[in-house]
Amino acid sequence: MSEPASPTEVIERAFETHTPNQVAISFSGAEDVVLVDMACQISDEVRVFSLDTGRLHPETYEFIERVRDHYGVEIDVLTPDAEALDAFVKEKGLFSFFEDGHQECCGIRKIEPLQRYLEQVDGWITGQRRDQSPTRAEVPQIQEDTAFSNDRRTLMKYNPLAEWSSAQVWDYIRENEVPYNKLHDQGFISIGCQPCTRPVGPNMHERAGRWWWEEATQRECGLHAINIQE
Amino acid sequence: MHITFVKKILADGTPCAKCADVQERLEKAGQMDRIDEVIIADERDPESPGMKLAAQLNVSRAPFFVVRDEADAEPKVYTVYFKFAKEVFGKTSSKRDQSKEILNDNPDLDFI
Repeated sequence: MSEPASPTEVIERAFETHTPNQVAISFSGAEDVVLVDMACQISDEVRVFSLDTGRLHPETYEFIERVRDHYGVEIDVLTPDAEALDAFVKEKGLFSFFEDGHQECCGIRKIEPLQRYLEQVDGWITGQRRDQSPTRAEVPQIQEDTAFSNDRRTLMKYNPLAEWSSAQVWDYIRENEVPYNKLHDQGFISIGCQPCTRPVGPNMHERAGRWWWEEATQRECGLHAINIQE
Repeated sequence: MHITFVKKILADGTPCAKCADVQERLEKAGQMDRIDEVIIADERDPESPGMKLAAQLNVSRAPFFVVRDEADAEPKVYTVYFKFAKEVFGKTSSKRDQSKEILNDNPDLDFI
């Protein structure tokens, strides 16, 4: 597919490539609700999942329920592996991410259940956008998922909103009267776990609302040569 | 077998946190003794041994491991610790380590 396609065209492509129940929409309880809205206009077999880390805001749990009712869709709510989570909390407590970084906690609460769930499908649809973070600056609309594909099969990943800005997402929400998480009215832009998410001020990037105690450069694994003489 | 472990120093002069994390895992697992050579990829100095090796092998991430079975054999490069540990040392990583590694290597997943 030559880029850019509209978000709806990307979702249609996903449903044409796989049967709708073999492609799952990742719904975080935030503005990626637009994916659910768009998908429900294309198919009545929409498969949606949310990662329940156990640390979400009450407003987010309420919103997940509201979306289930509003669209009449089943939502697979994924929970962490109990044994792994028990061991982690016993060893490191409930707030280790403030000292050790968020990767270990996110790994247990989000990545492991996500990996387990994605074993069941051929593709997944995410709300990732290029304007969300430097780590997403090159997200394409359609890609082979290198994180979760394995020797046995290739998983496809669809990012219908990759080309959209936050403003376009919110224009869509308003124009189509899409329900949204009440936290957005309290200044939250990006919504994740309660301890790791905060509202941001005017003109602040949404990245400032997540893991603000971490240095972005410390998380990058790329090798960036500097001082190279022409 | 000859194993090289390449660690990174960031452009601001600070050591790479993930490299320290990987080294800690190697030490805890008693694998550090099996690393033959540790070299530094200093982002401020393209002539540093690690940066030169990365360029030579077309590696764009760090830390990474280079494994040579024989002196003139084609080197095998690993940028994912748990894959390196599993294939080279036969050590299976825990779910916790694997999930953390996936997130470290795919930072675009952090907002999921």
